Amino acid sequence: MIMLSRVAERVYWMARYIERAEDTARLVAAYNHLVMDIPRGSQPGWEILVRILDSDPVFDEWFNVRNEQNVLRLLIGEADAVCSIPYAVKAARENVRTTRDVLPDEVWELVNELYLYTSEASENSVGRRNRQQYLEQVIQRCQVINGVLRSTLCRDHSYRFIKLGQLLERADMTTRIIDVGASDFLEREGAAQGIEHLLWGTLLRSMSALGAYRRMIGPQVEKNAAVNFVFMEQTFPRSVRFCIRGIREELGPLTNNKAALRAVERTRRKLRNFDSSEFDQDALHRYIDDLQLIISELHLSVQSSWFHRDG
Amino acid sequence: MDKNWNHYKATGYYDELITPKGTPRQVARPAVKLLKELTAEDLAARRTAAEVAIREMGISFTVYSEAGNIDRAWPFDLIPRVITAKEWAKVRLGLEQRSRALNMFINDVYNKQKIFADGVVPAETVLESSNFKEQCMGASPRFGVWANICGSDLVRDVDGHFYVLEDNLRVPSGVSYMVENREITKRVLPEIFENYSILPVDDYPSRLYGMLAALSPRERKRPVVVVLTPGIYNSAYFEHAFLAQGMGAELVEGADLFVDNDNCVYMRTVDGPVRVDVIYRRIDEDFMDPEAFREDSTLGVPGLMRSWLAGNVGIANAPGSGVADDKVVYAFVPDMIRYYLNEKPLIRSVPTYLCMREKDREYVLNNLEKLVVKPANESGGYGIMVGPHADKATHRKFARLIEKDPRNYIAQPTLALSTAPTYIGDEIKPRHLDLRPFILQSRETWVTPGGLTRVAMVEGSLVVNSSQGGGSKDTWIVDGRL
Repeated sequence: MIMLSRVAERVYWMARYIERAEDTARLVAAYNHLVMDIPRGSQPGWEILVRILDSDPVFDEWFNVRNEQNVLRLLIGEADAVCSIPYAVKAARENVRTTRDVLPDEVWELVNELYLYTSEASENSVGRRNRQQYLEQVIQRCQVINGVLRSTLCRDHSYRFIKLGQLLERADMTTRIIDVGASDFLEREGAAQGIEHLLWGTLLRSMSALGAYRRMIGPQVEKNAAVNFVFMEQTFPRSVRFCIRGIREELGPLTNNKAALRAVERTRRKLRNFDSSEFDQDALHRYIDDLQLIISELHLSVQSSWFHRDG
Repeated sequence: MDKNWNHYKATGYYDELITPKGTPRQVARPAVKLLKELTAEDLAARRTAAEVAIREMGISFTVYSEAGNIDRAWPFDLIPRVITAKEWAKVRLGLEQRSRALNMFINDVYNKQKIFADGVVPAETVLESSNFKEQCMGASPRFGVWANICGSDLVRDVDGHFYVLEDNLRVPSGVSYMVENREITKRVLPEIFENYSILPVDDYPSRLYGMLAALSPRERKRPVVVVLTPGIYNSAYFEHAFLAQGMGAELVEGADLFVDNDNCVYMRTVDGPVRVDVIYRRIDEDFMDPEAFREDSTLGVPGLMRSWLAGNVGIANAPGSGVADDKVVYAFVPDMIRYYLNEKPLIRSVPTYLCMREKDREYVLNNLEKLVVKPANESGGYGIMVGPHADKATHRKFARLIEKDPRNYIAQPTLALSTAPTYIGDEIKPRHLDLRPFILQSRETWVTPGGLTRVAMVEGSLVVNSSQGGGSKDTWIVDGRL
């Protein structure tokens, strides 16, 4: 089975962008839900979404005031902003458009339909009235695309690079949500008193982890247990540990995989013995910083091993 | 829509579906009957469904404009064009014969040049053409075939006969739309297939693969075939991807390939270099190898020409094939058929006046208002003057152009292109059309059943190119009795 380096790179990014679009939609949807539940004055503010996505500089390019309207215009309404959902969808589509020959026909059609949907609906979905339906649509359509890939794509190189992209993006997104979420919520502990479980429930919900958490840990959502769950729970498909294990499996059959496997080992060492109850807020933040750095090194080693190799 | 059809009149032209009396031709009867029975609302809904299908299938082409490149949805008219298998069989034989002669001509030009020595074609008209590539002298591609894929444009004149208008031998495009048009018709007018047995067109990619695989320099069960595209910004990128996928071949860009010290072509893959046997080249030869052709090309592969001349890789179409894709050379095709094959041409060519001949030039300059004047070496319908539709100033402009550079101009009588019923707004109107079948040739020769029908959507217009607002139709070759 032949796979061009350029094509491997494009399907990898296609998967990352689809995952990014879905995760961003999940995040906004969960937060949207939370806002309606908690009393006025306790809300941690919409700018937290911008921070989770590392997008303060992008925000400042487009807007001044950090309010609900502007944050959502950035994440939903602005197709040219690199952190927006329509941007991720457009980038995914460009990558599929140039790799149609290695993907099942339906994948192109579905990604194209998602693109047509977001280019038509995004601008009118900033307001609360259409927002939720829009986000659900994006999530569902991304899931359908992933489902088609899972059920029709041969387990060859294209599938492998798609999985690598998806799992790396997902692990990255999970650490982001915990990092900024945790620190900001803790700062506001005074104001958030009594609703902490609601806030953490929201974070879990954004990763579709709430139901699983309740069944495994219990109905009360508590910070340390929640952080441990999304980092370490080996049966939960969005946990960092689960993603890293998946990456290791996909790297196995590839030639020239030594550097990438070494990077995976570093991540696993970092994750081993993780226990959030041992961390205060600062230590958790430093830990997550380190982990994100290692994950981005993993990305770089994938890039240099398979995408940009000479000869 | 009954009323609409009953008012349909195509006078002065051959109409593909309707006789001069206004009744459907026999082969079109079941289709027209069904279309007549649809209400206006239903027909409009089918058109919308076709537009949605085209958008969702992502069938597009790129148009270049000052405002940037736009990816446009493929224009499609849902009323099919219907041709009998009996009539098509004759066209097919004519096209096969023509393609054989053209390839013998190209091979002769780059090798012994007997046709010049025998005075059938004047050497200077060929050797001075920008389509003649000196770098190809002495090359001998497999089976002596250079133009492995030929797209010939056919038109039907008022006499009902098909004429070859031109042969596209460089990188002809449009075949993916032929396949997709059938797919759209199946989706939006499924009932119409019930009373017909229509020759299928969707095996084109596998025919193409078979033809290309025969060019492999290595004896392998499944040779490594790649489609070389200039990239996503090319107007035909959709087609490049479509064909690569249909053949299960890699779609490569120049940067994916390199020529190693052993003079073989390799592609860069995640498992390291993999040798390439055959390249389906969808990039102009001027850009394919900066070592041999244009040095400033960033799209090509340095050393590709070296590898091909050494016989280490098959390239289709072979570089240099364009030498027969020239409107001056076109005028000599009937002579070539007699010269190389000792046969009578089975399909008509349009009478052609060569402005480089003094007598022809004089006639052309005196009859500009009756003639179509074309530059010898342009495609896409650019730089053409349709005499009867042009004003006096344009006539004068072309007269000057011809006198300045007679070698570069030819003229032909204005043909009365045939029409077919086309769904425009909420009416059924006659519109002019042409037909581009594709001829594949390596070990064997094969012609697509039908081809791509292109329609001039503007009333009276003869310009069918999609880059200039043309549309398209599904084209049926109907087998057996109805």
